[in-house]
Amino acid sequence: MRRLTRAAALAGAAALALSACGTAADNDGDGEDTNAQECEVTQIEGDPKVALAYDVGGRGDQSFNDAAYAGFEQAQTEFGFEGTEGEASSDESEEVREQRLRGFAGDGYNVIVGVGFAYSESVDKVAPDYPNVAFAVIDGFDPTEDEQNCNVAYLTFAENEGSFLVGVAAAEQTESNTVGFVGGVNNTLIQKFEAGFAAGVEAVNPDVEVVSTYIEETDPRGFGDPAGGQAAAEGLINDGADVIFHAAGASGIGVFDAVTSADLWAIGVDSDQYLTASPEQQPHILTSMLKRVDVATYDFIKSAVDGEPLSSYSLFTLADEGVGYSTSGDLLSEEIIATIEDYEQQIIDGEIEVPEQP
Amino acid sequence: MTILASAPSAIRQYRHLTLVLALAAIVTVSLVRVFTDQSRMTTPGTLRLALIAACPILLAGLGGLWAERAGIVNIGLEGQMLLGTWGAAFFAYHFGAWVGVLGALLMGALGGLLHAVATITFGVDHIISGVAINIAGLGAVGYLAQTFFTDLDGGGPRNLSGYAVPTEVTIPGISDGARWVSEQRWFLISDVAAAVAGVTTRLSLLTILAVALVAVTAWVLWRTPFGLRLRSCGENPQAAETLGVNVYRYKYIAVLISGAFAGLGGAYLAMVASSSFTTGQTNGRGYIGLASMIFGNWNPTGVLASSLMFGYADGVSLLSDNGPLVHALLLLLSLILLGYAALKYVGGERVTGLVVALIAVALLVWYLAVDSVPSDFTGMTPYVLTLFVLAVASQRLRMPAASGKSYRRGQAG
Repeated sequence: MRRLTRAAALAGAAALALSACGTAADNDGDGEDTNAQECEVTQIEGDPKVALAYDVGGRGDQSFNDAAYAGFEQAQTEFGFEGTEGEASSDESEEVREQRLRGFAGDGYNVIVGVGFAYSESVDKVAPDYPNVAFAVIDGFDPTEDEQNCNVAYLTFAENEGSFLVGVAAAEQTESNTVGFVGGVNNTLIQKFEAGFAAGVEAVNPDVEVVSTYIEETDPRGFGDPAGGQAAAEGLINDGADVIFHAAGASGIGVFDAVTSADLWAIGVDSDQYLTASPEQQPHILTSMLKRVDVATYDFIKSAVDGEPLSSYSLFTLADEGVGYSTSGDLLSEEIIATIEDYEQQIIDGEIEVPEQP
Repeated sequence: MTILASAPSAIRQYRHLTLVLALAAIVTVSLVRVFTDQSRMTTPGTLRLALIAACPILLAGLGGLWAERAGIVNIGLEGQMLLGTWGAAFFAYHFGAWVGVLGALLMGALGGLLHAVATITFGVDHIISGVAINIAGLGAVGYLAQTFFTDLDGGGPRNLSGYAVPTEVTIPGISDGARWVSEQRWFLISDVAAAVAGVTTRLSLLTILAVALVAVTAWVLWRTPFGLRLRSCGENPQAAETLGVNVYRYKYIAVLISGAFAGLGGAYLAMVASSSFTTGQTNGRGYIGLASMIFGNWNPTGVLASSLMFGYADGVSLLSDNGPLVHALLLLLSLILLGYAALKYVGGERVTGLVVALIAVALLVWYLAVDSVPSDFTGMTPYVLTLFVLAVASQRLRMPAASGKSYRRGQAG
């Protein structure tokens, strides 16, 4: 527990430091990070072999991990490399993650993607032993600020900006003037979603109340507990919420169940969850906050295949299309989309600064 | 024999007392609700959440009860529950909701069989075998999910959704009427109406089954010759053996039923509490079930009451902005403990009474000193309650005399 809290705090610190730098993912070499040491480009040996190590929730969570897989799959079809995947169990220790990464590296995989911030520390330990392997951690951060690992890329997102947009949609859509938020675990990363969402709601209509709850305070199992997600959402519905945004990984399926039974609205997260939802749930998934984990995963693999793997921090923002919202199912009205696009432009232009803390 | 002869009147007296205490508890809850103005304490929604959170715990607790009544400690409930979640998902996906429920029973019973073979036939320590089953259950479910769910529509190596689940029923007139009454916030009447509305709105048939199993368990174990023989194996297997009871057979049956109940708890999690499967989704509910069995004093109605309490704590911990509500519950807990302390003191257990009173006063001071309880506390409420209740109530608890002890055929000499 303690380690996790510390990790979350570090993640927050890293995210803050990052936004201050304002590095963009696709900077074309103009805005080099001043703090970064001189790094040689990681030279991967032989043909690229890509390994994907999943987070709690795993493939089939119809969300975060599935998005990473989509990027991986796209890259594989395009470049035709050899690939493998590793599943995580719900309460595994740091050592197990480390073993998984070492296992991949030992088997000759030279491009390794850790899906989820939980891999930050294990990658930090493993990466120095395999200088010719390109590592990436999605949502990751460097836990030891002093020594930089040149062969590690930290792929992060401006979740608050994407959440702001779905907050706008929720505030426009609500009839009860109450909207809800369900977080998986109450850490800095997930609070970013809540903060952006609440700011978006506030921007459209300050009279709309945001009620929010978290499934777990520190335990990562909050991302793999559909029963908890359903109960949390039902609690919010009892509070009067009629649009509920979740950032709870596989627990979010429970949120969809709750809104479907109550005939209300839910907003998905990470992937376009309309596409993976069951036919009964689909008419209730208003939109999804897209965190283009697929784009990040694809970009990283592509950079490695091209012989110049990304390293250090890359922030995928709204301006980079690293975050966004989905319109599948055509449930958002044209007026709402127009309003969202208006706010989107204001964020890209820097007229609106989206907070990261609720 | 004299004990058996005097049992009915003792049971009647016990029931009388339980009824009075339950009524006192409801009045106290209503008083606290009115006094603190925390209407969310007893809304139909909150109580429905509590019921849904309680059922998996209840089923695991009843499972534990069956095994322990026959003298086998089944700490493998968590693993059997996990097997149940997979069984429910797999069979429901391919063959429909009720086959899924059967599949969960079967998978749970399979875990029970493993435990039975190890502890009864081979005399392995019950705790060791149980822990092994929990670990093996998690591994097996991970493997089974990866093997069977990866390529399914709506599935993944660790997840599956989009299968049929048991029907939910709403009793039309009563549900709306009770809801209306509960919204009036009248003292006592509204609280009872909220409970009525909570159980008549979108009630899953599986919930009805779970609660019915409390009565079935009580009837079978305490009202049939089969139940008497089964319990005798948990109290004194040697004596049972000399009376011609096939102790091994009864223990086997009990542990199989125990596993099946835990499996049903898993089905509840994957079909009613949510409608999707994800590996490891029991999240320790099997252990809480074991705690509810101990807190319920190895007694079906006790298990029901304690699992409802744990379920309530679980439900409240998920409500938004629940600090003030948990704060109000502090007052409730303190009052209940004061009442309990008074009972103890009058009953002659003065030291216990004083200690409990002291704790109650401490809670009261806490209640008066702050306005809200931090959210970190609400998450750990069920666990703190368990510990607390175990510490306070341990003197009153009586487990089956031979529970957890290894029994070999022919020991009676």
